[in-house]
Amino acid sequence: MKVKHVVVALTAFTLSAGASLALAQAKPEVLVKQRQAAMTLQGKYFGPLAAMAQGKAPFNGAVVARNAGFLEALSQMPWDGFDAASKGVKSEALPAVYSDAAKFKLASENLHAAVGKLVAASKGSDEAATKAAIGGVGKTCGGCHDDFREKH
Amino acid sequence: MTATRGKSHPPRNAALQCALRTSLLALLVAGAGAAAAQGDAKQGEYLAAAGGCVGCHSEAKEGAVPFAGGRALKTPFGTFYGPNITPHPQAGIGSWSEADFVRAMRHGVRPDGANLYPAFPYPSFTKISDKDLSDLWAYLRTLPPSDRVSRKHDLGLFGWRPPLTVWKRLFFTPGEFKADARATPEVNRGAYLVQALGHCGECHTPRNFLGAPIQSRYLAGGKGPEGKTIPNLTPTRLKKQSDGELKDFLAFGVTADGDVPAEAMGEVIRNTTGKLLPEDLMALISYLRSLPPISSE
Repeated sequence: MKVKHVVVALTAFTLSAGASLALAQAKPEVLVKQRQAAMTLQGKYFGPLAAMAQGKAPFNGAVVARNAGFLEALSQMPWDGFDAASKGVKSEALPAVYSDAAKFKLASENLHAAVGKLVAASKGSDEAATKAAIGGVGKTCGGCHDDFREKH
Repeated sequence: MTATRGKSHPPRNAALQCALRTSLLALLVAGAGAAAAQGDAKQGEYLAAAGGCVGCHSEAKEGAVPFAGGRALKTPFGTFYGPNITPHPQAGIGSWSEADFVRAMRHGVRPDGANLYPAFPYPSFTKISDKDLSDLWAYLRTLPPSDRVSRKHDLGLFGWRPPLTVWKRLFFTPGEFKADARATPEVNRGAYLVQALGHCGECHTPRNFLGAPIQSRYLAGGKGPEGKTIPNLTPTRLKKQSDGELKDFLAFGVTADGDVPAEAMGEVIRNTTGKLLPEDLMALISYLRSLPPISSE
């Protein structure tokens, strides 16, 4: 029994240590690629919604609801990719990401909140409200890009 | 006339007929005169969108009253606050005449004779045609008056206006847009939209230390007033995008892969380029493509 306890304790310790070690081991270039991948996918699932909101494409409530669900998870993903370890890697992230960290965090929270509103609206049947919520997400994307992303 | 026309309906009273015809003619002339003096407010609404007036002249928050003033513009000389331009007689420009409005837009002068700061982009608006100014004025008069009091600019030493006379002498030439005879009508229309109404150069042209645009680098981008990079609109950069991509971007504010531009431009797309008629948007793009390529710094 005593040995079993020790084995269980050791396993638990190794697993938890391994989990935190795994994050720390991701190379800075990889962190940058991962956060960019998350945002590329945000663009993938937001793009069609923006088209619908502006009447460029026919409105499809099912697609909006599905994409909003994807965006809910995606909008939480990029942020740990901005870990200080990635500061030296060349990317479009402006120094303000780190010098104005509180504002950056707020911007990420605003995105998640705007996406939350879209998820809620997409569950209803008010097309106008859903389109407005799509516009709201676009504005938060742009707001963050205004302050924290280099323009190309 | 009555002899040939009025065969089946002979005039009962020739004098009455003559009087009626004369007064009808007078009414028509008066009506035509009044129509010429009064601008077309519907067209003015389109022009105000093309000019992006609402962006600087409204607060940035949700539910702000359009054109009642409030947007802060941070510059190296201090912060400007766009004033209330609704027709309220005290808080807005309700006491202005059309001539006052034209003087402000074309010459950068207030009704009391003081110079306006070129943060109000009259160096661009000076190029707007008389007809368009008249239509813009007609539209502004239709806005509901708001009693929101305009906030004073926060300028410190630069709040002293007399040096503006020198600035204007050095850097400002009033006058309507002149079409380039060598360019197509479409390119000229685009040039007018960009140079006069859209005033794109006010952000997209770098400025010298006196805050004047560096004309040799017109639309070549650079560092904006808050230190942020503003893109180059000449073919150096724009050649990388097709007409379709540019049109979609300027009309809908999203790229093909769902990328969203910085909100500073996002707002311009929502307020201005997204509201242009398709032929005007094409003209704008044609004009940008016709510019000589200037390398980004």
